[in-house]
Amino acid sequence: MHGRVDQHQGGQGVGARLPRKEDDRLMRGRGQYVADIRLAGMQDVAFVRSPLAHARIRGIHVPEIYRDRVFTAADLVDVNPIRAVSGLPGFKISEQPVLATGKVRQVGELVAMCVAPTRAEAEDIAAAVVLDLEELPAVSDMLQARSPGAPLVHEHWGDNVFLETNFEVDISAALDAPIKVSREITTARQCMAPLEGRGAVASFDHRLDQLTLHTAAQMPHINRTGLAECLGMDQGRIRVISPDVGGGFGQKGILLPEEVCLSWLTMRLGHPVRWIEDRRENLTASANCREHHYKITLYADRNGKLRGIDCEATVDSGAYSSYPFSACLEAAQVASILPGPYVMPAYRCRTFSVATNKCPILPYRGVARTGVCFALELMLDLVAAEAGLEPGEVRLRNLVRPEQMPFDNITNKHFDSGDYPQALQRALKAIDVDALRARQARGEPDGRRIGLGVSIYCEQAAHGTSVYAGWGIPMVPGHEQATARLTPDGGLELRVGVHSHGQSMETTLAQVAHEMLGVDVANVRIILGDTAMTPYSTGTWGSRAAVMAGGAVATACGDLGERIRRIGAKLLQQDIADVEFVGGEVRGVSGSVTLREIAHTWYRRPQDLPPDVDPGGLEVTSGYKPQRDSGTFSYAAHAAVVAVDPDLGTVEILDYVIVEDGGVLINPMVVDGQIFGGLAQGIGTALYEEMPFDAAGQPLATTFADYLLPGPTEVPAPRLDHMETPSPYTRFGVKGIGEGGAIAPPAAIANAVNDALRPFRAELMRSPITPHRVVEAVIAAQDAGRAAA
Amino acid sequence: MKPAPFDYARPRDLDAALTLLGNNASAKVMAGGQSLGPMLNLRLAQPEQIVDITAIDELKLAEISGDELVLGACITHADIEDGRVPDVTGGAMRGVAANIAYRAVRNRGTLGGSLSHADPAADWVSVLTALDARVALRSTSGVRQVALGDFIVGALQSCLKSGELVTAVHVPKRAATAQWGYIKTCRKTGEFAHGQCAVLIDPTTASARIVIGALDAAPVVVAEPAELFGGRIDANYKTTFDVRVADRLLGDAGIVDAAQRHIHVTVMQRALREAA
Amino acid sequence: MSALALTVNRRAVDCAAEPRTSLADVVRDHLDLTGTHLGCEHGVCGACTVLIDGVPARSCITFAAACQGAEVTTIEGLDDDEIAAELRAAFTREHALQCGYCTPGMLVSARDLVLRLPDADERAIRVGMSGNLCRCTGYVGIVRAVMSVIAARRARGIAAEVGAGRTALGPVGSGHGAAASETQAAPKPVAAPLAAPTAGATIADFTPSTIIEQSFEVEHPPREVAALFTDVAAVASCLPGVVLSSDDPANITGEIRVQVGPIAAQFAGVARLERADDGLSGRIIGGGQDRRSRSATQGEIRYQLMPLAGGDATRVELTIGYTLTGLLAQVGRSGLVRDLARRLVDEFAANLSRKLSGQPSAPGAAARELDGLALLLSVLRARLPRWLGGTSRS
Repeated sequence: MHGRVDQHQGGQGVGARLPRKEDDRLMRGRGQYVADIRLAGMQDVAFVRSPLAHARIRGIHVPEIYRDRVFTAADLVDVNPIRAVSGLPGFKISEQPVLATGKVRQVGELVAMCVAPTRAEAEDIAAAVVLDLEELPAVSDMLQARSPGAPLVHEHWGDNVFLETNFEVDISAALDAPIKVSREITTARQCMAPLEGRGAVASFDHRLDQLTLHTAAQMPHINRTGLAECLGMDQGRIRVISPDVGGGFGQKGILLPEEVCLSWLTMRLGHPVRWIEDRRENLTASANCREHHYKITLYADRNGKLRGIDCEATVDSGAYSSYPFSACLEAAQVASILPGPYVMPAYRCRTFSVATNKCPILPYRGVARTGVCFALELMLDLVAAEAGLEPGEVRLRNLVRPEQMPFDNITNKHFDSGDYPQALQRALKAIDVDALRARQARGEPDGRRIGLGVSIYCEQAAHGTSVYAGWGIPMVPGHEQATARLTPDGGLELRVGVHSHGQSMETTLAQVAHEMLGVDVANVRIILGDTAMTPYSTGTWGSRAAVMAGGAVATACGDLGERIRRIGAKLLQQDIADVEFVGGEVRGVSGSVTLREIAHTWYRRPQDLPPDVDPGGLEVTSGYKPQRDSGTFSYAAHAAVVAVDPDLGTVEILDYVIVEDGGVLINPMVVDGQIFGGLAQGIGTALYEEMPFDAAGQPLATTFADYLLPGPTEVPAPRLDHMETPSPYTRFGVKGIGEGGAIAPPAAIANAVNDALRPFRAELMRSPITPHRVVEAVIAAQDAGRAAA
Repeated sequence: MKPAPFDYARPRDLDAALTLLGNNASAKVMAGGQSLGPMLNLRLAQPEQIVDITAIDELKLAEISGDELVLGACITHADIEDGRVPDVTGGAMRGVAANIAYRAVRNRGTLGGSLSHADPAADWVSVLTALDARVALRSTSGVRQVALGDFIVGALQSCLKSGELVTAVHVPKRAATAQWGYIKTCRKTGEFAHGQCAVLIDPTTASARIVIGALDAAPVVVAEPAELFGGRIDANYKTTFDVRVADRLLGDAGIVDAAQRHIHVTVMQRALREAA
Repeated sequence: MSALALTVNRRAVDCAAEPRTSLADVVRDHLDLTGTHLGCEHGVCGACTVLIDGVPARSCITFAAACQGAEVTTIEGLDDDEIAAELRAAFTREHALQCGYCTPGMLVSARDLVLRLPDADERAIRVGMSGNLCRCTGYVGIVRAVMSVIAARRARGIAAEVGAGRTALGPVGSGHGAAASETQAAPKPVAAPLAAPTAGATIADFTPSTIIEQSFEVEHPPREVAALFTDVAAVASCLPGVVLSSDDPANITGEIRVQVGPIAAQFAGVARLERADDGLSGRIIGGGQDRRSRSATQGEIRYQLMPLAGGDATRVELTIGYTLTGLLAQVGRSGLVRDLARRLVDEFAANLSRKLSGQPSAPGAAARELDGLALLLSVLRARLPRWLGGTSRS
């Protein structure tokens, strides 16, 4: 399936498989990540963090010699706590002091800030600070946190529930269905673990009267807004610069208390300060993700047709509501997206966002969809078994059909376009279900068990105002702007408010510009990640950058092109209606003038322009909003074949097929890369990654030897097939696809493992599927079998 | 994640190293630092002094002496993997070395360091116990040799005394009739094993050394291996292996979790199946 | 600070660094070669991989001082390297990088594979690259790129370099510099006081996170055993590693020193003894803190004495519960506790039995504090990550 014919081969515009502009510097070690920034007089910061999950602070003892190097909440009296409030009714507010006051509510919570010439010395000082803590009972299990009498994370709430939501469409209509399957399903707490951790360098520019914060962040403009709120400063006095960023995946979409602390500290001390997060901090204290629990029932007719879903979902939100996404986004999203791409007449979902004594969770690539897909797709396999159908067949009977598009589903999600059954059928054909069933019947020579799993999802991406306004959180995306500027020598500069942390925006946005203006991508400079240089943007998250920033760049380049054309017409002394702008030059009947000539004339030789020329110039900021802002719906069908060793519990992925529809692809190579990378993370969710805590709320995976990221031998090269159904609402028909790769794999792999273990009657309903859990399930099933016999 | 400060010495000869160790009970020996380095960075280990022994030429010697191979403590996994040192184990050690952690770690990680660290999941701990190797230990007060089975006394616990260090490993020549099998099961490549078994079995002499590693404590050396094979070790050992006896043995060793026991028994069975 | 001479990217450099400074921090902070990235600082992720004496090594867990006189090549030094150039072309063609953070280490490791393994198939390449983690690409492009470079060089008939040309034995980077027998002293920061302020400290009841039940029998009547349990000093001496500063049963103070491999912890704290009126049951409850690791523990030993053999012997039933919090708790998982605790209780029991028979305690129990088999030791071990010898997790 590789080697798809590229219609734009050799071209540079939308659809071209173009090598990346950013590669060279990164491959030569010349990227500039936040830890690479060197400022004169810069000192390092290390934090004293809470060793306990829940405790009252009785005292913080600082050795006399370090008095002027250590700062606590008592010093930061003028700093406001981080508040990320949701407007949803009933949401309970958490206030997160940037340095703990009174109480600590999670291991790793910041208690004191220590500054020294090097990180090592700052850690020495931190080690000398003595915390006098009175341990309080902690709650580290979200179900326990919901039960009466549980320790309270925020006492004044009276319980531990940030938010409860209810959504129902006539569930009573489903209750008499002949097939009814119920399970409890759990997804482990994970850490996004980009290879680069967080980090910040703060300094103050007295000339501009401006605080400058370099930070590894996905949403620099949002960080600036949040910083201003905490520091009580005008936003104009703050500049946030996000340099090269070593992966984000959601973990860098938050305002960190560390960022606020560093900003305060540089203003207090008068010299630059930096904090570079280490791996232990990253795993245990920054942000976790993904921890869901489902009590779910599916109702269906004998023919496998879904009658309804009834679900109670709980999400462990951790101790604090994180800025800007809040503690409720994930669970509330569960309710709205659980039905996935399936049609059903009845639905009920109740959700709980629960506070525990653990670090906050953040939306990780796929956000709630990965958990939702895991729950629903595992349940669909059970429905298939009850109905005596192939898993593929039960899905085909329930998927939304192409002739229904655009389609409003039971939770009012507006599907823009696509052919879901076709994607699934292609995947089933590629994986060859019949051959696989025959192989299963034959058995394997090495005694392993083969299993097939499929899963399918839809990914609402590039969410707009209409989607987010309802959440009422601190950030609501709206329009997206870009600035396009022609340089005096005819080069193009683009300034865009989103950021790139692996997504290849420097290349794909240049391709969009090339599509619009014909400028060689080598002559396009992309400026990202700097609040002083780029238009305001909510940043890169929610698979929105290609749709929104791509649309903004296209619009800005289109508008710039129009100005170029007008000036060109003047230079050609022709009527505007008689010239066209193609191939990087303005052409009329009398001749042509190049972009370079136009730029040179405009900037360097204005005397050559007629007096009535539009003085607007060759710099344009324009905005973009899709025709409908309810989001694009990309989707994919995944099919996995695994071999399970029932004695060792190991799972090997033998074959993996993905059929993806992300609308029109700006750069298919980049899209493939996003899907491959998403798959690797999905495999991590399925088989390897887990952030466990003990009953006292102590995190137990603090290194990469405990928290296992998949390596080259754990991730297969999948077979990837694309469909390209354009979105009817977006520029070029592009859809967001950045997250999708990570959504379906846990479900497909778990279904495959369960299929392999069906002869043993063993069943796994939680992630990750570890060797121990597999063997445990097999033994339990055998014991149950013996007991029944 | 930076270490607490420590003093550092890199002596050229063994006597100087032993004197340093003898003078400071809080000194810690470091060879390649591939186990100690992470613990220092995490500040889990905070020794006052590091004595770097990698400049001592004597600890990098590798030679066959009589019927045994003597490998200096500072011989690396990569030295063994690449065949830069002689072999008396019929390639067994080379195969093991090639699958320890990762190449970049093997280029610095040493045999002596790995054994001194006494990690029960480390390959050499089980493998060299099965190969019946001995370690040479030295301090200012003298030299002694200890069988590897006696050297490791628990998780991260060896019988090294204060001021003493491992200078060499003595590996006996593997008999031509002895068959070797080694299996480990890891959640991912290069990570530490959660199941590990090394087998040196000789049907012609009806003897076997079977070592179960990656347990919670020191490796288990099966005391009466014949019991695993219905009382007799012969050429049919691959089929006479009795999983129930193995399971009981692991239960006696204190492994209460049935799934864990099952994984260990499976690994043992496969190490035997692989033995050749 | 001590003087350090290295050859970095073919250039001789001299700098001053503390002994604790890693090679990675020296190239990044002293030489401003920031292409070497830190991803974990414990040797797992591979982002910091550089060439030392021509072969790859982890610069995050290699101390610069240990590389005195060695030849170091960072990614910046591979600009003109033939294999690196081929790899760069292949990496960009195959989209083998996204965020780029792992890329320098990835290229250094890939270069070594290309040099050593001209016959590597896809599986061998995957295994060979397994010490380098990438969070973005799913390794698809990386594997394809390395395969293509290997295939191209094989087609050109370029032979393998065994061990990447290395002939010397021992850790790479070692053995070049002069001896540093005179210890390079590091300035020591002010340390947190190790002893906990115990005055007025309260011993709260707690819910143990782990409970172990064990029992053993001794050939002494319950009364004698009960008497021993009133003797704080005697009981303490049966627990290796315990040193008391006060044996007042209502306010016992002291510390437990434990050594697990290179980890040394010193928990200072308080305990108290409680017993039933008949003396046949009771408990020791206490807690302590290790300031250095910001860790704390609480533990209790409940005992119940049952007469056996007509009262001539006693069955001692112990219920041991504990919690551990802080750094030492955050480096692993539970699991092997029971196995180790059984050993602890065996030793505790053996020592109690010896004490009752008037024999000296286990060989030098008090002197053996640093090898102590205190309850904490088993706790610590149970909590260690696997690479430190901890148990596997489910």
